[in-house]
Amino acid sequence: MISKALAESVLLCAMSGGADFAELYGEITKNNSVSMVDGKVDRVGDNLVSGVGIRAFLGTRTVFASTSDTSREGLLKCAAAVAAAMGEIKKDVNVVLRERFLPNIHPALIVPSSVDAKTRADILRTACFAAKEYDNAISQVSGTLAGVDHSILVANTEGLYVTDRHIRTRIAVSSVASAAGVNQSGSDSPGAGMGLELFDKIDPREVGREASRQAMVNLRADYCPAGKMTVAIENGFGGVIFHEACGHSLEATSVAIGASQMAGKLGQMIANPKVTAIDDGTIPGAWGSVNIDDEGTPTQRNVLIENGVLKNYMIDRLGSRRMGMPMTGSGRRQGYTYEATSRMTNTFIANGPDKNEDIIASIENGLYCRKMGGGSVNPLTGAFNFAVTEGYLVKNGKICEPVRGASLIGTGSDIIRDIDMVGQNLARAQGMCGSASGSVPTDVGQPLIRVSTITVGGR
Amino acid sequence: MRFEEMKQALIKAAEAEGLEQYEIYSCMEENISAETLKDEISSFASSTSGGICFRCIVNGKMGYASGELMTEDAMEELVKNAVSNAACIDSDDEVFIFAGSPAYTKLPEREIKLTDAATIRDTALALQRQTYAASDKVSDGTQSAAVSVTEEIHLYNSNGLELSNRVGVSVAYAMPVVRDGDEAQEHFEFGVGSDMETLKDLPAKAVQGALDKMGAGLVDSGKYDVIFDGRQFRQFLSAFSPVFSAKNAQLGLSLLAGKEGEAVAAPCVTLVDDPMREGSPMQTPFDGEGVATKRRNIIENGELKTLLYDLTTAKKAGVESTGNGQKGSYSAPVAIAPYNFAIAAGEDTSEDLLSQVGNGLYITECKGFHAGANAVTGDFSIESAGFVIRDGKRAEPVKSFTVAGNFFELLKQIDRLGNEIKWAVPGSFTVFGSPDVLVRGVSVAGK
Repeated sequence: MISKALAESVLLCAMSGGADFAELYGEITKNNSVSMVDGKVDRVGDNLVSGVGIRAFLGTRTVFASTSDTSREGLLKCAAAVAAAMGEIKKDVNVVLRERFLPNIHPALIVPSSVDAKTRADILRTACFAAKEYDNAISQVSGTLAGVDHSILVANTEGLYVTDRHIRTRIAVSSVASAAGVNQSGSDSPGAGMGLELFDKIDPREVGREASRQAMVNLRADYCPAGKMTVAIENGFGGVIFHEACGHSLEATSVAIGASQMAGKLGQMIANPKVTAIDDGTIPGAWGSVNIDDEGTPTQRNVLIENGVLKNYMIDRLGSRRMGMPMTGSGRRQGYTYEATSRMTNTFIANGPDKNEDIIASIENGLYCRKMGGGSVNPLTGAFNFAVTEGYLVKNGKICEPVRGASLIGTGSDIIRDIDMVGQNLARAQGMCGSASGSVPTDVGQPLIRVSTITVGGR
Repeated sequence: MRFEEMKQALIKAAEAEGLEQYEIYSCMEENISAETLKDEISSFASSTSGGICFRCIVNGKMGYASGELMTEDAMEELVKNAVSNAACIDSDDEVFIFAGSPAYTKLPEREIKLTDAATIRDTALALQRQTYAASDKVSDGTQSAAVSVTEEIHLYNSNGLELSNRVGVSVAYAMPVVRDGDEAQEHFEFGVGSDMETLKDLPAKAVQGALDKMGAGLVDSGKYDVIFDGRQFRQFLSAFSPVFSAKNAQLGLSLLAGKEGEAVAAPCVTLVDDPMREGSPMQTPFDGEGVATKRRNIIENGELKTLLYDLTTAKKAGVESTGNGQKGSYSAPVAIAPYNFAIAAGEDTSEDLLSQVGNGLYITECKGFHAGANAVTGDFSIESAGFVIRDGKRAEPVKSFTVAGNFFELLKQIDRLGNEIKWAVPGSFTVFGSPDVLVRGVSVAGK
């Protein structure tokens, strides 16, 4: 990609404005996608992203520049821009890079970009046709199969020179069910940090059927009632509750500048003692895993909350300087045009002490959320929201009729205390998380949990 | 390698492949930004990015390929990939390389350039100082920022159509955090430009916005008459803009399908798409296919006049393209999207609207549209905050409630409109705007 000698020159140039640290990040990403709608392939896309980002620190001041011009001249011009913007007095520096080689714990057996589009289209077709055949009321199905082949280089003035290549694959199907002028939708979108061998593990037809199953459930659902309720949230994507309600507030991005409600609470009991939450970037082949983060730090398993006690934050390099705490392999970025900042990888609530059937049986009048959509949060106030895409009323400990159109809202610091039952069927699900450093793949996850009281936004 | 060199390399490669119908589209963006923390610039960034997209018709199918690597070899690769991608398409939609519109709006001559780094830094620092000075409750976490962006687009196709456009904008932000005891609140305001004279009210306004949220209470669940601040209502337009796409209508993904000529909103509602909106820094005379853009009423006095079309959907419907076939980025496929998309202002002042409501809610914060709004069904359930309206006056702040309903019903429930359109940050060709909107009988979930 960029030779060690060139990287040394670029870093020296970036340091010439008086910085105490400089970093070069290079990226080549091949994005391949096939999309279908109405039973037909309507788009096959190939895109090659290529560029570098150069960053310098002086204490906690940062300067960043990026360019898609990866010629020697382009890199040196970009580095000179960084030095000029730092604008301090030059110090003598010396940069000697030593290559580091790390094992790949997320192998890809079939790199998607190496497989012709026709073969990839056939996988997607299988999924979409299964979705359409699920029921006569399924009026439209769309889907995408996307492969990402992401190679990075990180070099910095601490002598690091390391490369990594990460492959990921995801299939997404959306179904619409129609009756009497009403549309309802459902979707499913599993993915993994692996190649097309993903489809040896998951059957594309099951993806299509799952999307259509949800759409059909929603077609017979009435609007969800409004108000405070006891809610059971199912495993898998249900874990978005922790991601939004708590995860973002544990990122150094907001903690280090005092813009998080979780700042200064290490060692305190912040959650119900049944809650243990982990961010683990090392799970082999998982959607949110990487060998090294985008600052070159190996990812690790970070226990964030243990039996209700706040144990750690997710900390990137700048956050580490600001907080005086070690990095946790959490520095991530979408690509070369973004500066890395602290982000989640695979974040989940661990299995707890409660039996799943006891959780449902304990609810007299409430809501069972089987599938969740995305959400968002304000880390300062902890105010969060997320959508219920498949929900059922629970009456006298039994799951009853489906309801639609609800969201759940609350405040993170309250909700993690109100998670008062934690079940035993931990599963993760895939999402794209959008934040300051762009869109990065993350897993969310949990077993079935109970929240004693939360505002259900129905009507 | 500049656009002209890449273009020549692509033409050469296209001719070598025997292609007759193809298009080259490039978009290059430059931006610089400065962010502050406490009393200093914490981060300064500059970037040059962008790429080129080649698409071509082979046996009636459109193949795309795009990339950022600007070498002759890379251009050859693009052409080869586009050709092989076209072979996998089995959609029967008719596709076009456009011959050109009879005329394009001529933009006034103006120099568009990136604001210089020193000005960007000074603006961010000045905003930060004034934000801290506005109240002694302003505290750590407060950030101010200034950003300048330019974008240059080139389109060339095998029919000899050659178009280009250069746009640019500077935007400044104040994001104070205020604290009082255990409570912290924040607020966000932006202004266009980097001249502190025009931005002088921004810091105080932002701080007041944050202070106003302190001590918010909860509301009872129920039905309320509400005023949506235009800054919030425009988010509904954004989340539900896919329903105005002819493509979604043709695929059965929009409940507005077949409703052209019918009443779809209250009679007071006129919805306008204006690509050349005066004062907008992101004006564009042509879309991603090279079709001339034009101001149009999408809804006029409640009646749906037209959906938004690109060439393919227009051909299918037997109408002309409305020039809404946009490319969201150099690599994106042509997709239907509006430009400056807003409900036309009504006549009511804020006081008029408040007194019309009498008792209800004034909603000044809505979040979570990407998950809580479903364009296929029209359903929404959105986290909100705002103020109680009591006796026709804005009273105490409230938080942690949702508003829920259905967009198609909401359009019909609009009762009155404020007299000023509040536009979103102008950062791309699609920008949403709305006046304050009075809607009666909205479902609210609170305590």
